[in-house]
Amino acid sequence: MSAQVSIENVSFQYPGGVAPVLKNVSLTIEQGDFMAIVGGNGSGKSTLCKLLNGLIPHYYVGDFAGRVIVNGKDTTAYKVADLSKQIGYVYQDFDNQIVAPRVLDDASFAPLNYGDPDYKRKGKEALEMVGLLGYDEEFIWQLSGGQKHLLALAGALAMNPDILIIDEPIAQLDPAHAESLYDILKELNETYGKTIIVIEHHTEFIANYCQKMVLMEAGEILWKKETKEALQLVEELMGRQIYPPQVTQAAYLLDRNKQEHLPVTLEEARQQLKHRLTTGSAVQQAAEIQLRREVLVRIKNVRFSYQTIKRNRKHVLKQLNLDVYKGDVIALVGNNGAGKSSLMRLMTGLVKPDIGDVIVQGKNTRACTPEQLANEITYIYQNPEEMFIDDSVRKDIAFFLKSRNIPDYEKKIEAVLEQFELQDLQNRDGRLMSGGQQRRASLAIGIAMDPSIILLDEPTANLDIATRKHITRLIASMKDKVGAIIIATHDMQLAAELTNRMIVLHDGEVIHDGDRSTVFTHPGLLHRAGLTPPQILQLSQSLNMEVPAYTVAEFIQAWQGKERHHGVHA
Amino acid sequence: MEYTRKWSEKFSVEQVKIELLNTAYGNGHTFLARLDPITLFIWYIFFGIVPWFIHQETILLGMFVFVVITTFIAKVSPLIILILCLGLLSQGGYLLVASLFFGGNLATILPLLVLTLKLSVISLASISVFCSMDPDKLSNGLLKIGFPGQVSFSIAYGYRMLPSLLEEYHHIFLSFRLRGKAPEKKGFLYWRAIVYFCKVAVLSFYPLLLSTSKRARTTVEALETKGSFYGFNHPEVKKLKLANMKMQKHDYLFLGFTAFYLVCLFIFL
Repeated sequence: MSAQVSIENVSFQYPGGVAPVLKNVSLTIEQGDFMAIVGGNGSGKSTLCKLLNGLIPHYYVGDFAGRVIVNGKDTTAYKVADLSKQIGYVYQDFDNQIVAPRVLDDASFAPLNYGDPDYKRKGKEALEMVGLLGYDEEFIWQLSGGQKHLLALAGALAMNPDILIIDEPIAQLDPAHAESLYDILKELNETYGKTIIVIEHHTEFIANYCQKMVLMEAGEILWKKETKEALQLVEELMGRQIYPPQVTQAAYLLDRNKQEHLPVTLEEARQQLKHRLTTGSAVQQAAEIQLRREVLVRIKNVRFSYQTIKRNRKHVLKQLNLDVYKGDVIALVGNNGAGKSSLMRLMTGLVKPDIGDVIVQGKNTRACTPEQLANEITYIYQNPEEMFIDDSVRKDIAFFLKSRNIPDYEKKIEAVLEQFELQDLQNRDGRLMSGGQQRRASLAIGIAMDPSIILLDEPTANLDIATRKHITRLIASMKDKVGAIIIATHDMQLAAELTNRMIVLHDGEVIHDGDRSTVFTHPGLLHRAGLTPPQILQLSQSLNMEVPAYTVAEFIQAWQGKERHHGVHA
Repeated sequence: MEYTRKWSEKFSVEQVKIELLNTAYGNGHTFLARLDPITLFIWYIFFGIVPWFIHQETILLGMFVFVVITTFIAKVSPLIILILCLGLLSQGGYLLVASLFFGGNLATILPLLVLTLKLSVISLASISVFCSMDPDKLSNGLLKIGFPGQVSFSIAYGYRMLPSLLEEYHHIFLSFRLRGKAPEKKGFLYWRAIVYFCKVAVLSFYPLLLSTSKRARTTVEALETKGSFYGFNHPEVKKLKLANMKMQKHDYLFLGFTAFYLVCLFIFL
């Protein structure tokens, strides 16, 4: 294997920036690699990738030092246009990189611009590679989020580049779609011989798909290692807020002296641990007694549809019945397009059902404006940016309180700022903060409204794992302040750790209403709804442990309980 | 109740978005849409300018009938027609009232009606033409008659962004509603409610501007990597883009028929 990319002692500082974003980094990438770059937000991952297609230093003319050679070309001597033919780039906000209104036009946009007479065929080939063939003439706004992502990928593939860079490929996908996207990347890597570089937080996917792993922190590359080797460094990774796969964490905790090689995939863990497992267990899970409590929201025979661009109606919810009780922490799960967001918007009164009724705290949403319902129910958007309507976080939090002339609202704001650790950020414009900060601010805005029901739409999407854990903790801290929390999410770890009720939506219908134990032990249901249980649960199930473990801590506890029971104290 | 709901649905942001997109892209299958942009430009130049110089009502009426037919063929969205009619009626009505109040009579009204007729011909011609050209076609047409690549790209891109912008605007608007407080009393003729909504509608623009400018960064970078600046500066790319555009038999037939119809108007009326 030859070095396809070599980055030599590169430092870079953005124009107007206060500190260098890259500090003397060196890295080689071999042809045919499948490599993951990990690191916290702001560690310089995206900047590193922009070196390869020459956006740095040609487009961002900052303080640049060092040398970058891609396919034998020194990037300073070639234009972005020349380099881009060999490097495809898919952004994290891929929506903004789609420039043409129709699918095929967008896929063939680059070859056309470079004057390739065969541009249509190239666009089609790219669409075929990502499995979007047959959508040629569709308008981009008719595609789902996942399809748009594939289109952005096709647009990057159309020039037949040798290297493909994808910034957080699965951040907005449900588990089933995430896996199929990685399968496509794998195929591109294995069949078409492309070098693939992903910026990724999900170590479980890294373990399953990537060969190499690069760790970055504060503008420096700490190391580049084979994935299996890299994920052994549990302590170092956790110390830097990177969380290895759950099975690796569990195996590590079980055996801190680390005699054995730690497993990084589910299958490895199963192989390794099954020999050590003996049957029989005394651990009992306390069965939670379900008391029927006060009803906060009642959804009765609701049907909901909206008009599409083609002027026909899309039926999103069909005959939905649902009660939300006081004390519920509900995970609303199901694949993209199952109707989760629509259901939430119905509860806020922003939209009204076609037939049926939505009763929130005794008020029928048909007869109420969203402003009136806002006293009872708060909806936190999936994209926090759309919640920033004023020019500082503090003012955004104050907006609701001020508009209602709540006495002593300043005190309330202080308390909320403290709860969500926003004191230092209170005067910043929400739009200019990092993803995790934005999310915190959006939760603060919601909680300041003092609602009895809070609706969270994908609260952990697009966040690195450390931030995700932080947000999960913050949501947990909201539990006793509100009557009920409903979380629409693809994040099964969040669902398993935090909620006491799980509702599975599929094609506009509730196909299951239970809790984590009834959902995750039901393979048919999981398959139908496109859900993947947390890895640690899969491990505990495949090891036939009687008590399923939903978190690493539960797993360790159950395991050690077992060993203690047999007198093999670990 | 049901009736008002239907109406409020018609005027929701969502509906406006759908109508706009349909006007822009939804009519690709009509006869006019299959014509070459150059044909449509020529046709439009005639119907956009000539009516100003014709004073004979019957000929204008004949042209009016013709553009009504083309509007019908172009399957223009009802909302657009409604807005046009409202515009023409309110303008015509206003002139009528003004002329009657200030001592005019039927003799003053007639020329005003002629003016309204001229305006109708021109507006309907514009609608038929621009509803029949989707933004891609329009931008290619402009490119062909010599506009720079940046201009034609901006048009196509502007339309691609329109739905996303509207959607984002809608979200921000709803953000205001989800946290704001509407006036408790609606006021005489709902004036308090109307003022509240207008205020929110205006305020929603500011966050939209800020977040859009932030997102534009990715787009500009992507355009750079997709070689669009390379494309603007290389004439062979332009040729490639326009390779599919050619005047065909139906283009000549359409222009020929229009000429024949107009000649007939002038001779027989």
